[in-house]
Amino acid sequence: MDTSKPPVAASPPVEDERVWKAGRLEPMPIRKLPDAPPSVHILGPTVFLVALGVGMGESYMWPRLVLLFGPEIRWLFLIGVTLQAVVMLEMARYAMATGESIFSGAARVFKPLMWFFFIVAIAVYIWPGHLSAGAAAFEEITGVPWVATAVVGLILVGMIFSLTKVIYSVLEKVLSLLIGVLVISTSVVASLVGSWSDVVSTITGMFAFGYLPPEAMSAAWFPVIVGACAFAGPSGMQQMWYTLHLRDSGAGMGVHIPRIRGLRHAGEEEAMPSRGFMFDTEDPAEMAKWKGWRRWVTFDALLLFWGITMLVTISFTVIAQAAVRQNPAVRTAVQGDDREVALGAMSDAVSSVGSSVLGMIFLGFIALIGLNATLGLFDSFSRGQADMTYNFVKGAKKLRMSHLYAGFLWGVIIFGILILLFGPADGPSGILDTLAFLSTFAMGAYCVTLLLVNNRMLPKPIRPRWWTNVIIGFGAFFYLGMLFYSLFAFGVVVG
Amino acid sequence: MIGRHSLELALPGASIGAVAGAMAGGLTLLAGQSAGLAALSALALAAPLALFGGLYGVLLGRGVFRPGTFGPAGLYWMAAYPLSRLFQESVAGVGLADGVLPFLGFQAMVSLGFAIGFIWLHERLMPHWLLHRAGDNPHAAELLDHYVRHAQILSRRKGARR
Repeated sequence: MDTSKPPVAASPPVEDERVWKAGRLEPMPIRKLPDAPPSVHILGPTVFLVALGVGMGESYMWPRLVLLFGPEIRWLFLIGVTLQAVVMLEMARYAMATGESIFSGAARVFKPLMWFFFIVAIAVYIWPGHLSAGAAAFEEITGVPWVATAVVGLILVGMIFSLTKVIYSVLEKVLSLLIGVLVISTSVVASLVGSWSDVVSTITGMFAFGYLPPEAMSAAWFPVIVGACAFAGPSGMQQMWYTLHLRDSGAGMGVHIPRIRGLRHAGEEEAMPSRGFMFDTEDPAEMAKWKGWRRWVTFDALLLFWGITMLVTISFTVIAQAAVRQNPAVRTAVQGDDREVALGAMSDAVSSVGSSVLGMIFLGFIALIGLNATLGLFDSFSRGQADMTYNFVKGAKKLRMSHLYAGFLWGVIIFGILILLFGPADGPSGILDTLAFLSTFAMGAYCVTLLLVNNRMLPKPIRPRWWTNVIIGFGAFFYLGMLFYSLFAFGVVVG
Repeated sequence: MIGRHSLELALPGASIGAVAGAMAGGLTLLAGQSAGLAALSALALAAPLALFGGLYGVLLGRGVFRPGTFGPAGLYWMAAYPLSRLFQESVAGVGLADGVLPFLGFQAMVSLGFAIGFIWLHERLMPHWLLHRAGDNPHAAELLDHYVRHAQILSRRKGARR
């Protein structure tokens, strides 16, 4: 490996003196890779990606497309989620090998690339749109106006993250519980309302590669399909933030980086190093540990991420198909653009299968998914921006990482409240849709970034295999190609 | 015979099963039915799920399952969940439209999702319960020891942090 030693070589080489040079930024000192977790344990930082990823795409967009175009359209979903599982493994490769975020990796390749993501994150994620669907569903159940729920929710999220000692642990506990409840109850409800034929058509539909009915290739529907592909699994910058959670959970070389603390406990935070670390990739013992870490994250990617995302979508699709069987009017309702009307229609139809209570449960799921996404998004956004600011803005190191984190968190919360109270009043859906173009563009851009970072900034023995590169390259083509085809062929960005 | 000590290990799994069954199963069938029938329906799903959930805890204590691993538990629920649903349908259902085999096949597929959620929550609850019971219950102490060893390895890793 390309390590350099200091000029004085009289004493035997000490591990601490060696460094790995990656790009033009500060070299990474060589440190020991910790042992991988002893067993393939079911809980890992993937919980964040699942919480962020299982959202509107799974619960609404894809069931809706299935109702409109038939289950065969789901082959695109299979490609989208599988692609995201590979992206997740590749994001983890850099984060676990260096303890750095993918943003730092991007800066090592070309600093403006990192600033691009910094700006996109602000442009896309300061809008409180992601709160709206969950809060609107909550309004359906309780009658509490969605703006009130959203504002109270925002303040609560800020307080929770400011008061807790170690943010990662608290967030992991809360999200785990919510996801556990979501997974169990979605399964039970699907098992009650669905049938063998629903699930068979849903699953066989995933293998109808190339199926695109003529009406899907129209200015009205193609952009919607592009949007749904971008929302299959984690969308926008969520995969990039996953590298920060991996680091904070102490995965791989992340063990050498201190954790971010809540604002109240910021004083206890250890000094954050300005760069990551690398392990000795020429030492077989270290490489054996690395293989252990890769096994660990692969299990997470396949079972937790791919499995749960698939499960929730299949369950919701089965519920939606059952709904249409009971009440064919649902199909007409979901053709409209208004998401609230469509969700309401699905909920009504679900109610007619069982009871009004079941409709409530359906809306309860939507509210729960919204809450998961909100908790995860606010934390991740603040984490990502704080990371980039701390490492690459001059003078920012005078502050602690926790202070920067709190600054971004409360900044986005206050801005969100102002927008909710005084911003565009055209209903919840209006806000969410404006994010779509940049969000999809960022996904194509991070595929390119991943290729550059993993193939140029990592030592040869731990670089990705050729076929992984092909898949990630296909990802860039998939997201950017569909986005620009939609733009030039139909003059519409994303629906 | 299963003793009191083993039965104590069944509590977290039995609770998850009971709550999941009662929550979704009971509420779903409320509509248009008498309270008695709705309660029967909820009970008919909650009872077998609680039973199988509890049995999972007992088998975990005996070393049949390993904490946190999915494979064997997934297979376990692939059998246990369809049986629970079949029991519910036969006691309080409206009849199986597709026939028994397609019904069981569908339930077996959905059960994998249930299994993920079950293990996920069980792993969260069990260690707390074991801490509570380890003083009086040698089975709990033994299983807790397993969790503690795992946690120690993890914390040694985190202890390496500067």
